[in-house]
Amino acid sequence: MRPSFFHHLHPPTIPAPQARFRYTLGAGGISVYLVLVVIATGILEMFYYVPTPEGAAESVQTIAYLVPYGWLVRNLHYWGAQALIAAVSVHLVRVVMTGGYAPPRRLNYLVGIGLLLLCLFLDFTGYVLRWDQGVRWALVTGTNLITTIPLVGAGLYGFVMGGDQPGPATVVRFYAWHVFGLTLLLVGMGVWHLFRIRRDGGISVAPPVARVDPSRISRSELVRREVFAALIATAVLILLSIAFPAPIAAPIREGEAISGDARAPWFFLWVQQLLRWGDPFFLGVAVPAGLLLLITLLPYLLPGPRPVELGRWFPPSSRAAQIALGVVGAAILALTLLSLLFNNSSP
Amino acid sequence: MSTRSLLTAAALLLASLFGVIWYEYRRPEPVALSPTLTGEEEYCVACHADLPEISAAHPVETFGCVICHGGERLALDADLAHSTMRGDRNPSDFSVVQASCGGSECHSGSPEEGRDHIHRVLTSVQTTYAGAIAQIRFTYGAQPDLTARMGVSAVQDDMITTTTGLPSLEAFVPDAESSPSVVAFAENCLNCHLSAEPLPGEPYARLTGCAACHTPAASADLDRPIHRLTTAIPYTQCNTCHNRGNYDLRDMRFHPREDQPGNRLQDYYQPIAQFVRCEWTLDCIDCHTRREAMGDGDLHSSKQEIQYVQCRTCHGTLEELPLTKTITDPEDLAFRMAFLNPVIDLQVGDTVIVTEQGEPLWNTRRLPDGTFELFGKATGQRLTFRPVKGTACQQKIDEQESRYCHACHAVER
Repeated sequence: MRPSFFHHLHPPTIPAPQARFRYTLGAGGISVYLVLVVIATGILEMFYYVPTPEGAAESVQTIAYLVPYGWLVRNLHYWGAQALIAAVSVHLVRVVMTGGYAPPRRLNYLVGIGLLLLCLFLDFTGYVLRWDQGVRWALVTGTNLITTIPLVGAGLYGFVMGGDQPGPATVVRFYAWHVFGLTLLLVGMGVWHLFRIRRDGGISVAPPVARVDPSRISRSELVRREVFAALIATAVLILLSIAFPAPIAAPIREGEAISGDARAPWFFLWVQQLLRWGDPFFLGVAVPAGLLLLITLLPYLLPGPRPVELGRWFPPSSRAAQIALGVVGAAILALTLLSLLFNNSSP
Repeated sequence: MSTRSLLTAAALLLASLFGVIWYEYRRPEPVALSPTLTGEEEYCVACHADLPEISAAHPVETFGCVICHGGERLALDADLAHSTMRGDRNPSDFSVVQASCGGSECHSGSPEEGRDHIHRVLTSVQTTYAGAIAQIRFTYGAQPDLTARMGVSAVQDDMITTTTGLPSLEAFVPDAESSPSVVAFAENCLNCHLSAEPLPGEPYARLTGCAACHTPAASADLDRPIHRLTTAIPYTQCNTCHNRGNYDLRDMRFHPREDQPGNRLQDYYQPIAQFVRCEWTLDCIDCHTRREAMGDGDLHSSKQEIQYVQCRTCHGTLEELPLTKTITDPEDLAFRMAFLNPVIDLQVGDTVIVTEQGEPLWNTRRLPDGTFELFGKATGQRLTFRPVKGTACQQKIDEQESRYCHACHAVER
């Protein structure tokens, strides 16, 4: 058989302990599968979506209610995207908590952070593309955070929104970024990310002499596990799609105030919670950016794991990095919970 | 990974696909309607196919649903579909009537064509309640005369056509009143104007806005949708506000009448009232015209300024026959009215009674022998009557108000 990218990703054998679900949590692989799901469903949605302020929300209603199985496609796209954010976050936690970011994988770690950011931007742009009353926070408050950035804020806002307020150009720009710019970057960087895994020596593992369990699994076993995960993931996405339809609301109409839900999308609830406490630039831009920078630079700032400790959870030598990510993660979770529990309808 | 685990996962996926089929099956079947007025597909009838057509003048193939009701035309989910409906279930509520019923081709057209319904009703005393407010404020010293200054809402009229018309009314603000009686009036007595929610209970059951009159409600259960607009308004609908009791100036409260009207002849009018035979046979709208009931487009200080039809309008006097007009124009307003409420088979060349202000009483017709026929607008009942002229009636020419007629024609009970 001719070698292919598939073979590049699936070596003849890989170490058994590190191929276990309880080590990887399957998060990276599931993320790849979810990207395929959202791309496939997204392409189908593009046949009906109309990227104009007048047409957007009604075309979403058309997909949700009138196109045969459009509801399934849309709900799978929605739940696939939400699950993707969750899966890449879990993947990040797994990589840091197992020390998988240590050299020579530091570059791929940076690529991974880039992919996480791309996923967030894709979710955010996709969310705004609904152009209905439910996206008020994202469209008004969320994007206005850009203007608080000193010096470049106003210009950046114009670049993102296509004007000094939301309008027809905003939909087109968000659409272009969503289906083309960001997706192209996601696919390109994603392929690079996958390519680098093998180049960096496969999944991180201790040197052969230090391995407790030297057993390995075959390529076919790996594929079986991937198929298993994909089957389960698909079933879960379908069940979620049936039980919890993607949010939808009345269109934002010309000349009408946007009066809908003022809540941020769930992955920005923590930022919304921070914003309630003070300066929008500091709390809404600087703090999140600082946290992102901290996480990005973890491999460079804090001691990495010793090679003999690789291939297991919580290597003691990189405790500082684990605590740093743990604190950031716990803070984000706590802020999200606070926002969910105590603020049902504030800006 | 055992084959068994894989098969289990595959079975789970299969089960979820059955879930998809189940979900698809229980979704409402999209049923499209493309009303000719909008040309935009709407799917309301997917769920509302059983609703009766609202009126002959609003065929669903022409109007659809959304042009009046608003709402999300594409949504097959009740919550979303209904989320942007105008006035909830009643698009004729005055808070939204302009968007629902307005438009130059609809009900905010020109007065000449008689299509200025919204302007007329919004300026009418039934909506402004200006007469009652002026009476009470005058009685308790809050204003020096009976000329209305305030309405339930602020309103203005840019085109005054009568001598008693007012240019504008301010909003009546109870908090700004110093007299406790006027404040009590505001609290207890403002439930009959057309924007007000009715008092609880079956006898008062009506909707608000245009539908207060044009959607005769059969039940106090106002949550039950009544999909009907009609110009055939029975006296029972007028009765949801009128003839239900009295507001007592001493305690500033509404005192409902004790007896529940059952037999129209015996009980309909309040015990103190006199009435003549025709008044309990006919419905209110058989005599009272559209201008009287819905306003003439001017703001008035009391209903006396707008109510003008008298017995003589149809019966004439000893010296004069009632005013009549032979309809020659197929576009005549009388035909439009007769189309909306086809109780009479009106033809070009028919002679109908017209009021002193020129309104055609389109449900009447002069017969070859000089007598007249009238068709009840709500009942369709045919009645014939003759003019006073040439009879032994002893009325005096300057005594034409109904009380003078009651002197002889009152019904005993």
